[in-house]
Amino acid sequence: MSAFLEDFALCFVKNGRWQYLVNGLGVTLEVALAAIAMGLVVGFLVAVVRSSHDKYGHFPVLNFLAKTYLTVIRGTPMVVQLLITYYIILRSVDSKIAIAILAFGLNSGAYQAEIIRAGIVSVDPGQMEAARALGLSYWRAMTRIILPQAVRNVLPALGNEFIVLMKDTSIVGYIALIDLAKGGDIIRSQTYSVYLPYLTVAGVYLVLVMTFTALLGRLERHLRATGADPVHNDS
Amino acid sequence: MQDALLKIWGLKKRYGSLEVLKGVSTDIHSGEVVVMIGPSGGGKSTFLRCMNLLETPDEGLVYFDGVDIVSADEAQKNRIRSEMGMVFQHFNLFPHLSILDNITLAPRLVRKLKPEAAEKKAMELLDRVGLADKAKAYPQQLSGGQKQRIAIVRSLAMEPKVMLFDEPTSALDPEMVGEVLDVMKDLAKNGMTMVVVTHEMRFAREVSSRVLFLEGGRIAEEGTPAEIFGSPKSDRLRLFLGKVSM
Ligand SMILES: Nc1ncnc2c1ncn2[C@@H]1O[C@H](COP(=O)(O)OP(=O)(O)OP(=O)(O)O)[C@@H](O)[C@H]1O
Ligand SMILES: [Mg+2]
Repeated sequence: MSAFLEDFALCFVKNGRWQYLVNGLGVTLEVALAAIAMGLVVGFLVAVVRSSHDKYGHFPVLNFLAKTYLTVIRGTPMVVQLLITYYIILRSVDSKIAIAILAFGLNSGAYQAEIIRAGIVSVDPGQMEAARALGLSYWRAMTRIILPQAVRNVLPALGNEFIVLMKDTSIVGYIALIDLAKGGDIIRSQTYSVYLPYLTVAGVYLVLVMTFTALLGRLERHLRATGADPVHNDS
Repeated sequence: MQDALLKIWGLKKRYGSLEVLKGVSTDIHSGEVVVMIGPSGGGKSTFLRCMNLLETPDEGLVYFDGVDIVSADEAQKNRIRSEMGMVFQHFNLFPHLSILDNITLAPRLVRKLKPEAAEKKAMELLDRVGLADKAKAYPQQLSGGQKQRIAIVRSLAMEPKVMLFDEPTSALDPEMVGEVLDVMKDLAKNGMTMVVVTHEMRFAREVSSRVLFLEGGRIAEEGTPAEIFGSPKSDRLRLFLGKVSM
């Protein structure tokens, strides 16, 4: 027991090393949340362009760009995308956090786009017709009628993508950004103690993911209680 | 007679190699209740959907209120659609919105009505169809007949000049057909211009001013209900009428 306490003191108390974890957690959350938000915006736009093109032939040029974007992002590793963003695309930008947010946001945008597109396709075509028949513009019908139902239908998949993204941010150490994972690694390198730093980091990620999963579950239940059952769309 | 509210001339529509409408012409005047009957695949829905431009005709003219709507731009088309109500076989209520929001959405977004004004109007209409107590409910909490009455109210909230109905009672359990037809009869009595695709021959007989028999992409026969049901001219119409229950 005293060996454990000694190890604990060495890893987290001495020289205020706990700050590596706390500050690192802040970086992890900042990058993950901002990238999720950015990915949602990108994902929505790409999904609308792609599905409008497939259904009505709208936006041929944008659709080509969107498809290229999806192919490149999904065809290359996240680490490589992060390094390219850091060393090539945003070489003149100082903020590593901004660089990480951009790289992860663009990456997640591609995956979110495909999820949201599947959601759009899953909405009964009668919904768009009814909205248009009432005089709503295509864009209004999309944002007010189709997308809310599309998101509801794919909320579990979207939540899963958020969780993957949150865990994936643990590679930002590649551009020398100190997030939760890197913070634990620094403690290990300073103390030569492996168990406590890494297991603690793993535990914190686990708590993050479980908290997020619980929040998502509540949101889903809330949507089901107030609105439609997404499976039975004959409304 | 004054100019027709809807003037349709030489309407053609094809899907790939299938020519669904082969030149359909008719005028629909204010206050008329036109019932469209005909065999499945005859093009009734397509014809209806060309009237409010949910489908774009390949050839032909559609004038609404004296305006050529086929060549109108997108913004004009949206405005024109907002002046035509449409009721679908499968209701197509918005499942993520409450009944009240279903009804007030378009008046607020398209007509720029204030929320209070839109809600007041919606409640009046709900009252008229006996569903005021459902304002806060969601579509999946309603029966089919209730959904369809709400769908009619949703269209009426836009104060349309014409109402298009595409088999409004076909997806309903038999015991719910009556409540929807009653609302439609009430509308007709109050002078609403209506175009109704239906297999409800009693409704056609009692309510319509004119019946169109659409078959094979053409209006094969048309006339008053008395003419169509009393003395059908073509064998095809006789055959069709023999098959549908009266
Ligand atoms: N979007 C479409 N794409 C391809 N074919 C279509 C499309 N819509 C309709 N059709 C075809 O056009 C023909 C006429 O269809 P329409 O729905 O207008 O007939 P209808 O008279 O309403 O029939 P029903 O009584 O079955 O509703 C049918 O053969 C149908 O399969
Ligand atoms: Mg039809």
